[in-house]
Amino acid sequence: MTEQTPHTANDAVSSAAPRPLVVAVAGNPNVGKSTLINAIAGTRLQVGNWPGVTVEKKEALFEHNGRKIRLVDLPGTYSLSPYTQEEIIARDYLVKLRPDLIVNVVDATNLERNLYLTVQLMELGIPVVMALNIYDEAEAKGYRFNLHGIETMLGVGVVPTSATRRSGLTELLDKVLETAAQPADHAPRILNYGDDVETAVALLGDTLRREHPALFALYPERWLLLRLMEGDERLRQEINLAQDALPEEIFHHLRRGHGEDLEALMADARYSQAAGLAREVLFKKEERRVEMTERIDRVVLNRFLGIPIFLAAMWLVFKLTFDLSKPFGDWINDMAGGPFKHWTTVLLGLVGAPDWTVSLATEGVISGVGFVLVFVPVIFMMMFFITFLEGSGYMARAAFVMDRAMHAMGLHGKSFIPLLLGFGCNVPGIYATRTLENPRDKVLTALLIPLMSCGARLPVYVLFVGAFFPNNPGTVIWSLYVLGIALAIVMGVFFKRTLFRGEAPMFIMELPPYRMPSFTSLCLHTWEKGKHFLIKAGTYILAVSIFVWFLLNLPWGVEHKKDSYLGQAGQVMAPVLSPLGFGTWQAASSLITGVIAKEIVVGTMGEIYAPKKGEQKKPEASFGEDLQEIAVSFGKAVKESASNVVSTFGVSSLAADEKEDRGPLKATIQQTFTPLSAYAFMVFVLLYMPCVVVAIAMRQEFGSWKWFGVAFAYQSALAWGMAMIVYQGGQLLGWGV
Amino acid sequence: MGAFDIVLMIVILAGAAWLLYRSLWKKKGHCPGCDGGGCGDK
Ligand SMILES: Nc1nc2c(ncn2[C@@H]2O[C@H](COP(=O)(O)OP(=O)(O)OP(=O)(O)O)[C@@H](O)[C@H]2O)c(=O)[nH]1
Ligand SMILES: [Mg+2]
Repeated sequence: MTEQTPHTANDAVSSAAPRPLVVAVAGNPNVGKSTLINAIAGTRLQVGNWPGVTVEKKEALFEHNGRKIRLVDLPGTYSLSPYTQEEIIARDYLVKLRPDLIVNVVDATNLERNLYLTVQLMELGIPVVMALNIYDEAEAKGYRFNLHGIETMLGVGVVPTSATRRSGLTELLDKVLETAAQPADHAPRILNYGDDVETAVALLGDTLRREHPALFALYPERWLLLRLMEGDERLRQEINLAQDALPEEIFHHLRRGHGEDLEALMADARYSQAAGLAREVLFKKEERRVEMTERIDRVVLNRFLGIPIFLAAMWLVFKLTFDLSKPFGDWINDMAGGPFKHWTTVLLGLVGAPDWTVSLATEGVISGVGFVLVFVPVIFMMMFFITFLEGSGYMARAAFVMDRAMHAMGLHGKSFIPLLLGFGCNVPGIYATRTLENPRDKVLTALLIPLMSCGARLPVYVLFVGAFFPNNPGTVIWSLYVLGIALAIVMGVFFKRTLFRGEAPMFIMELPPYRMPSFTSLCLHTWEKGKHFLIKAGTYILAVSIFVWFLLNLPWGVEHKKDSYLGQAGQVMAPVLSPLGFGTWQAASSLITGVIAKEIVVGTMGEIYAPKKGEQKKPEASFGEDLQEIAVSFGKAVKESASNVVSTFGVSSLAADEKEDRGPLKATIQQTFTPLSAYAFMVFVLLYMPCVVVAIAMRQEFGSWKWFGVAFAYQSALAWGMAMIVYQGGQLLGWGV
Repeated sequence: MGAFDIVLMIVILAGAAWLLYRSLWKKKGHCPGCDGGGCGDK
């Protein structure tokens, strides 16, 4: 977000360069607002097939027919009352910053409910253009619309669109420009809410004009009057109007005729407008068949099958992720450790760089960063599947299925969304807690998010699973994710009994229909999610790997890495970790540096175990030969990856098991860990303290380090305790070979 | 270990420290889903 200046409709005229047209995109949740903006402006706003993806307003600037347009994506809302965070964001924007025009995105398969918001948008007096979106699905269902009818009855322009198929976009923009050119001719019609209401509104208007004329400059007139009439608390506080400042006799008549609750009266009035309109303009074929979505949901949401299916889906995701990406990871590993290291050394030698810089570049940067990059394919693959689950609508089902567990923790299903986001990276999850209404839910959710295993922890799992559990890697990784979720539930219940007493309000999550996400949009959003791990590798993981190299080589000329500063720190920590089965200085030092980001655990290991110069005994190849080798082995990786998928689905593996041992690292960690202590180590990495960025995020959201302190304390205890149970328990059972 | 090495070392370390500060504190760790500054300002 760039600027926050209010762009009121009347400050335009004077300035020389025409100011961009400000268009707010508003609508119910999950109707395709963000998809539409992405399609129009080429942005990459996050989309997903569940309500509540966009939680803050985001902007996109572009040009149509030579006119600059600024589109503002608002969080989806069902109404403009000030109850949820999303509603407040959307309404404050619309009322206070007054865009020039509103594009009301409407789900054509759900016209009546969507019109309830449209009716409220019209009260603002700002020109509205309706994008009748998801038109493709509506047509497939056999719906027909009287577009002209909507236009005349509401006084708003209507354009059928399909954001995913990019149809109707030009027409929509043309309509927007046409409307914006003559805003006065395109004011939405004023709907009649019934004589009693309208009389009261008129009376109230007279009173206000007499006593508080300044208000009309600040708020849209009709909106102000209607909201004051229904007793909008937030508005009243904003304008400092005492409860009894409005003459009671205005409402007297209304109350006598319609009961005390004026808010409910207004809701009724708006609903009947919406319903009446929908009846007039929408024609449905009356044959009702059981739809695909419903059929799938009968199984997926089944009381007994729901959770097992969720777990099975997750398992499949991990298995596929691992199988598909492993060959590519190995390829990067071979390349970084072989040709890349070799030619860096040669190059540095040529420019006459000092010896220690060669070591810094190869044993530090290439071993550290390179080793993290090895796991980038896994992360991308994982993000691909997460994006698929989000886009298809299954994530919303997962939230539904987990709802009961969430209630046990005193949280409602809405908290599940930040938790889900946490699987990609914990940080956006923490920020997404902003959508939760009460502070208790926010903090409680944020405390649990670090237990969701983020993408950065995958490299650690993959490294260890590859070394110790080559036969069922997917299952082992899956077990760690499930452990994270299970512990989140346990800790949630614990917190509910101790720090955060109270019940969660009911929340009904709307289940969107299943949709097949398009492959291009899948790839695009996968890239959006995954590229950050690349950027991380190029920035602070690079920085840390340099520090780690120095810490491993200071005091200058130190003989064994064990005696370096980092080694010494590791030795101090190691005894604490002994009961967990990995009380070595190597493990301890990696865990220390991993506090910055969990990938760094792996990066540090790469540096600690990096072969000293001269230990590499690869025959020298020419540059050309190396290039050829790179290409050939990449081809092999593609083939292997493909055959792995085949074997995932039953056909027994063709290519597996003839693999030679890769790199010295695997061999070395096999010397310092056993399968049992490796598992304990992974459990520890899963649970031990959130990374630095999460700490910063928590501080920002909650204004102090306090809640991070709580998270830090409980997670350290939990990590130590769980890893010990795993290790000691495993030994008792005789697994500790 | 000459003066040149020391200077080079300091430059490298300073560069790394700056990179770390910038990406962790300023850019909020470049986390996914934070485009458009959504994660930053409040
Ligand atoms: N079939 C079809 N699907 C669409 C269309 N537009 C959007 N979708 C799908 O609808 C879902 C929701 O899209 P989003 O863009 O995230 O919706 P949103 O309105 O921004 O939702 P919130 O941010 O939660 O308010 C996604 O799965 C889209 O792929 C369309 O025109 N046709
Ligand atoms: Mg959105």
